[in-house]
Amino acid sequence: MTDRNVFVYIETADGESVKVGPEMLAPAREAAGGGKVTAVIIDAQSDQAAEKALIYGADAVITAACEAAPPENTVGILTAMAEKYGPDIIMIGSTPAGRETAPRLAARIGAGCVTDVNALDITDEGIVWTTPLFGGTILENVGISTDVQVVTIRSGAFKCGEAGDPSGEIIPEEIIMQDGDVKTKIIDSVVEISEQVNLEDAEIIVTGGKGMGTEEDFQKIQELADVLGATVGATRPVIEAGWTSRAHQVGQSGKIVSPKLYIAFGVSGATQHITGMIGSDYIVAVNKDEDAPIFDVADIGIVGDAKKVLPIFIEECRKLKGI
Amino acid sequence: MKIMVCIKQVPDDSVKIELDESTGKPSVEGVEPIVNAFDTYALEMAARFLETGIEGEITTITMGDENSKSSIKNCLAVGASHGYVLHDDLFEGSDAQGTAYALGCAVRKIARDEGGDFDIVFCGIETSDETSGQTGPMLAESLGYSLVTNVIALEKKDGVLHVKQETEDGYNIVETPMPCVLTAARPNYDPRYPTIKSKMAARKMPIGELSAADIGARSDKTGESASLVKTIELAAPPKRKAGIKINEEDIEEASLKAFSIMTDANVL
Ligand SMILES: Cc1cc2nc3c(=O)[nH]c(=O)nc-3n(C[C@H](O)[C@H](O)[C@H](O)COP(=O)(O)OP(=O)(O)OC[C@H]3O[C@@H](n4cnc5c(N)ncnc54)[C@H](O)[C@@H]3O)c2cc1C
Ligand SMILES: Nc1ncnc2c1ncn2[C@@H]1O[C@H](COP(=O)(O)O)[C@@H](O)[C@H]1O
Repeated sequence: MTDRNVFVYIETADGESVKVGPEMLAPAREAAGGGKVTAVIIDAQSDQAAEKALIYGADAVITAACEAAPPENTVGILTAMAEKYGPDIIMIGSTPAGRETAPRLAARIGAGCVTDVNALDITDEGIVWTTPLFGGTILENVGISTDVQVVTIRSGAFKCGEAGDPSGEIIPEEIIMQDGDVKTKIIDSVVEISEQVNLEDAEIIVTGGKGMGTEEDFQKIQELADVLGATVGATRPVIEAGWTSRAHQVGQSGKIVSPKLYIAFGVSGATQHITGMIGSDYIVAVNKDEDAPIFDVADIGIVGDAKKVLPIFIEECRKLKGI
Repeated sequence: MKIMVCIKQVPDDSVKIELDESTGKPSVEGVEPIVNAFDTYALEMAARFLETGIEGEITTITMGDENSKSSIKNCLAVGASHGYVLHDDLFEGSDAQGTAYALGCAVRKIARDEGGDFDIVFCGIETSDETSGQTGPMLAESLGYSLVTNVIALEKKDGVLHVKQETEDGYNIVETPMPCVLTAARPNYDPRYPTIKSKMAARKMPIGELSAADIGARSDKTGESASLVKTIELAAPPKRKAGIKINEEDIEEASLKAFSIMTDANVL
């Protein structure tokens, strides 16, 4: 078994690691063999995230104090760290920033890059990374031929390992930004969606599609979600119609989710949607078109009017939960 | 203002593509080729940007086989003024790095021929077939341009480019110098359709063809042998076991039946 040194870049928001951050430490450990797993955190407030990284299995944490870390800084800093420490693998979360950082970093250090990895296999010939094609209807197994390998890891693809004692050293690094590293400037940052929608950690998701017909009927999805303690999901046309905010979107350009139960009302089942929810343990779909593709992935399919099924479900759930 | 839009021809993304077990390849036979959705958004954003009274032109390019000309034609009918197809056996089997390298060489070459650098090079955030999302950022590196990803609008203010970047909870306004590479996300409108007139006009417009030699691309930087990422095999995702479909006249009965299966399965 080959020992590899693995860098895991953990992105932070307000000093806390993003969800995929600690999740990556499990595949990182697997890829490392007997090698070292080092988390890299770029944030002026890195204490919390650093401790979490140690708890979830990092052998060491490199911290770089830097106020904001837009991708441009990150690319420069990670390039410098890669040159100094010479990791064999650099893992980055598949967040919007991560998806920008990884290919730029790879191009700079001459490494091969694979995005959206959702599985890996350690073989005698090297590491085989699995990544979706066509939005996930086909999986591609690839190898990277360069000495350094850069990959992005999909949020939710790996579960966080067991929490342990936070042992391991924290190595603060000086950052010296090169002139010209940062060319763009964020001059305004606007928050339009204030609600916290945590689809990725939800155990139950109730999704409404365009087949709900009207905004008013779509709102009833929330009623069922409330009874079940579930989170509301939506398809893209629902968001485009303004029935709910983008934070609820499930799919290729929304969230990739893996709840225990996913209930879809009036959702056709386009690949761009399926790709986001196929990882659900149990899928229930209601659609009036008996040939709707959503039925191909459903454990239970009800052919019929979602607007009629929804109130019955609400009523039955109330009885079940005694509310 | 000179804008280059990089487009890729992909199989119709409303058709479900699966692994053809007999060939081990994606089942794309007979599926209509279209312009990658995000690339059509890039083109539309570029066209709307120029329509705000900015003098300029849009050039569009694709690296692909002979028949990707038809996709370039479609772009010429909805806002682009020049079109190029980058085609050479050498490019075959390129990974994102090799694609970005070749596109970078072509962008420089076309700029020289058309007399002046491009101010903006637009890509989609990702393709529907590869879904890699690497080409845009790598192209920015290879050209040495600045980069803004997830773009949903652009505007020129006091001579500088202001780009609206979609974020998870809203948007940023990012100021970027030019030349720059932008990657397009989905704006909140659909791209325009061609008219009969614009289609006719596009049919008469020339499409430039460029080979590896034409753009001075090196064989150790692009194509299969230069690829840093090698495909080992394609696989079908694990199949879900067939479920139960309840198709009954009485919707209440159907619902209750479904509900009792759910409670039996202990998922509620
Ligand atoms: C690049 C790209 C990215 C995309 N990303 C996403 C994404 O992240 N997420 C996403 O969801 N989509 C995404 N899409 C859009 C996707 O292709 C589909 O258009 C979308 O998922 C369809 O949403 P829908 O099922 O709600 O609507 P429709 O396709 O309009 O389906 C409505 C369904 O409701 C059924 N119906 C109608 N009335 C009733 C009724 N009374 N009772 C029961 N059923 C009824 C109909 O039979 C139909 O099946 C993307 C598309 C592109 C091109
Ligand atoms: N062969 C190609 N020709 C032109 N542009 C391409 C090509 N491949 C990718 N692109 C551009 O790069 C973007 C991202 O592609 P990808 O990295 O394959 O997901 C696409 O949306 C296109 O704008």
